Amino acid sequence: MSRFERKILFAIGLSVFLALGGSIFLAQGALREVYRVGVNERFGAELVHGVEARRGQLMALRSGSEQVADAVGWAVEAEMTKRRNTSRLESVLQELVERYELVYGIRVTDGEGQEVASVSRESDPSGAPMRTTTRDRHVEAGRTKLLIAVEVAVPDVYFERLQEAGAASEVYSRLQRQSASVSDVYVWVFGVMVFLVIIVAFLIGAIVSRRVTRRVTALAEASRQVGAGDLTVTLPTGATDEVTELTQAFNDMVRDLRDSRTRIEYLQRIGAWQDFARRLAHEIKNPLTPIQLAAQEMGETYDGENEAYRKKLQHARAIIEEEVATLRRLVGEFSAFAKLPRADLSPSDLCDLIQSIEDSVPAILEDVGGGTPAPVEVRVSCATEPIRVRMDPMMLKRGVDNILRNAIQAVYEAHPSSGGRVFVRAYATEAAGFIEVRDNGPGISKENWDRVFDPYYTSRAEGTGLGLAIVKKVVLEHGGEVRLDRAPEGGARFSIELPLMGSR
Amino acid sequence: MKYWLAALVLLTASAAYAQSQLPPRDVGVTWSRGAPKVSFSAKDLADERVREELSSGLRKRLVVSVGSHLKGSNWRMSMRQFACDVTLDLWDDDYLVRIGNQTERLKSLEQVLNRCLSVEGLFAGEPKNYEPQKGKEMYFVVRAEFNPISKKQCSELIRPTSGNDPVGPITVNIVRRRICRAERTIEFRSEYVRVPE
Repeated sequence: MSRFERKILFAIGLSVFLALGGSIFLAQGALREVYRVGVNERFGAELVHGVEARRGQLMALRSGSEQVADAVGWAVEAEMTKRRNTSRLESVLQELVERYELVYGIRVTDGEGQEVASVSRESDPSGAPMRTTTRDRHVEAGRTKLLIAVEVAVPDVYFERLQEAGAASEVYSRLQRQSASVSDVYVWVFGVMVFLVIIVAFLIGAIVSRRVTRRVTALAEASRQVGAGDLTVTLPTGATDEVTELTQAFNDMVRDLRDSRTRIEYLQRIGAWQDFARRLAHEIKNPLTPIQLAAQEMGETYDGENEAYRKKLQHARAIIEEEVATLRRLVGEFSAFAKLPRADLSPSDLCDLIQSIEDSVPAILEDVGGGTPAPVEVRVSCATEPIRVRMDPMMLKRGVDNILRNAIQAVYEAHPSSGGRVFVRAYATEAAGFIEVRDNGPGISKENWDRVFDPYYTSRAEGTGLGLAIVKKVVLEHGGEVRLDRAPEGGARFSIELPLMGSR
Repeated sequence: MKYWLAALVLLTASAAYAQSQLPPRDVGVTWSRGAPKVSFSAKDLADERVREELSSGLRKRLVVSVGSHLKGSNWRMSMRQFACDVTLDLWDDDYLVRIGNQTERLKSLEQVLNRCLSVEGLFAGEPKNYEPQKGKEMYFVVRAEFNPISKKQCSELIRPTSGNDPVGPITVNIVRRRICRAERTIEFRSEYVRVPE
């Protein structure tokens, strides 16, 4: 794990831990408080009081039922003492049942278990279930011993409510007893979840930081390669983040460096060739005049009678003069190449240049056709808007003229009678202006596309191989680029790219 | 995977160790038709507070469970459990004891404790549980609880609030276990006995 990666992970861990750890700390207090408010001691006490009240109610009813049974016993005893018989006992019992709500029935039996009197209440019209029990009382009136069974009843719901209140109170008291631990459980569970979140955050952080650092490491490695002189390095750019922007900038920088180096190397090479051409021109040019003069003198000063020899001399003189003329032309071209000045750039419109090229088309056609215009259709066009570039119009025109002349020659050779076409156009994109020259000639084979711009490379017998080298030198001095590929018409297509004014 | 297995083995071993460390107590064991019948008393579950609660007039529960284990193992061969719901009837002043679907009335708390916590000749499992373990040493673990809240009742009482937060259901499950556990529990084991050949 790199230091950078460790730092990123540390930053992620610190921020996650502080945020979530803080939230646990705050949540702990909040949970305890919430639980304390929710499971309140007062409510618990009230619930217990409720249970006690219901129990007290039942106990009071039970006590009341005992007292009622006593009252019934006394009433029966009084009746038996008063009347000494049981004739009115049933009506007394009826009064007692009506008087005491708890009493549902009374049954009086004698010592032998024979029923003496019995009354019972009509069943409750509401039909509510009742809990009944019997309270027995023994009465002695004189020699008569009676057993009074008083049936007392209370609604069953009283008991059910006691159980319900008891259950609620019990659960509440359990919640209360667990109040500290319940909030602790919440905090623990929350803590565990937070811990898991931290782990996940770390893992995601590790993956993300690994991705970032891997790209940064790749950048560092690529920088080392560039430092060692390898300008072919290109890093992949996929994502859309700052590192990608950095990578893109790095790629752009390497590409610019590569272009600059290529440009410089080419210009250096051209410079060396110019120097060579200048020396060659100088060395060849000097002896040409004496050679020509010597040949002329040889032919003119022979006064012998040998006609055959005279003819040989004349023939040799003609050959020498022709070759000297060829050498002079070659020297002229070498000299012109050697004296090629540096481009003097100034703001101009490419369309003006195109216009001047169009003006020179008839002369080129006539030159290529050997006195009569070559039957080649040349179409020249330009964008309607001005294409502002910094250029040396004369030098650039010379370069484009070279390309145009080559194109016309190639097309003329391929289509000597008619059908040859050459297109010259200027257009612009957002960042660059372009001059395009294309034709429907035989084209140039792909393996020679890079070589055609080398000095002294030519495919024609009478060519010097300097024309396209000059074009490339001029274009490079304009900060541009010249490319060759296949035209849609089948011939060659030369594209000169020049940076627009105001662009990078 | 091997770490998980190691943890599981460790956990099982520690649980087995913990059970074998329970205090031994006299548990009568007789064998009838290949199954053991156990007799013991867990009346000491009813301390002062438990007795008070049983006489409160509120419904309380006494649960006794008997499990049988092989010596040195936590694996339970059989499990037998019975529960008494005890209510002091405040109207009739006697104890209403409900065991399964049967209800009976007992006059005193002592009778209730004898009925619910003194076990006589209780079958602890079926012959098929012991058939494969013939000749091996085993022991019974008795657990007596006062007033545990049943799982079903507990789930009804304490429910997670509706929503899809992950903390709620987990926490409620843990809290449920704590809140619904018995108010008093005693545990003991029998001496080691051998499954008859």
